[in-house]
Amino acid sequence: MPETPAGPTSHGRKPYLIVFGLLFAFTVLEVLVALPSLGIGRLFKGSALVLLAVTKAGMVALWFMHLKTELKVLRWSVMLPFALPALYAFVLIAEASWRLLL
Amino acid sequence: MNWTEVLSESGQIHAMSATTAASHAVHPLPFDPAIGQATAGKIGMWIFLISDAFSFGGFLLAYGILRGGAEVWRHPGEPILGINFTAGLTFLLICSSVTMVMAVANAAEGNRSRVSRWLALTALGGALFLAGQYQEYFGIWSHGLSKEGLIFGRSAYASTFYLVTGFHGAHVLSGTIYILIVLLRNTAGKANANDIEILGLFWHFVDLVWILVFTFIYLL
Repeated sequence: MPETPAGPTSHGRKPYLIVFGLLFAFTVLEVLVALPSLGIGRLFKGSALVLLAVTKAGMVALWFMHLKTELKVLRWSVMLPFALPALYAFVLIAEASWRLLL
Repeated sequence: MNWTEVLSESGQIHAMSATTAASHAVHPLPFDPAIGQATAGKIGMWIFLISDAFSFGGFLLAYGILRGGAEVWRHPGEPILGINFTAGLTFLLICSSVTMVMAVANAAEGNRSRVSRWLALTALGGALFLAGQYQEYFGIWSHGLSKEGLIFGRSAYASTFYLVTGFHGAHVLSGTIYILIVLLRNTAGKANANDIEILGLFWHFVDLVWILVFTFIYLL
């Protein structure tokens, strides 16, 4: 059975408002985590902030850009290239940081 | 102007202006197993956004490598980036994404006047963001970063900040102009639901990239 085809379809408003609320809440959480006065460890702070940012970006892509309702082929054709720079970043930044420690 | 809705065989709603239906109709495309009924314009926008993501990825990679390899990142005399004000700008862009998604939803339902209203609000969000960025760089009601010692070319900290946020700001500027053009076309009855959807993809991408820029440049 074919999946639902992509196109300018009519979407309900409720998911948008839920995503908006979550994006706002996560932004507040990010600012709180970044506060130096809280004394959160560097590794935990960095991991939490990256995780929150990726979650927020994913929500925008899936719900606001409607990737969630696109066909699998189109969805992965878009999401994979979006994810690749993150992999390159991890490898290259880890390498640069490691050289600094030598 | 009234819009009519055309239901394709798959049950999708395609909106079009009654008076411009002949010249600007959204014709249901044949179903393709890979891309469904996505138009060439939509696929073209996705390809552009992927290439643009690599541009931003390149900038953020350069930033990460320079910062990761730097013994001293922020030199004495250079200001700390303000988080609270930029968090406000982030919230502003998120709000503008919601107004844009409302425009897209109304376009799919064929409500042209509501589309214009939501697009105008989105353009306002973009303009306010740009004003905020100008305040941050040069200052309007208080000193900007450039007057507080963050000078482009003086350090990697300053140069990467201006390059990444400036490149994003150029996207907000071009996106706001793009919105205004589509808004005028929509008011004139020349834009259809596909045009609004393609515009929406660009604007949400600008928001998506800012979420990452905010984290990597300001928060980490």
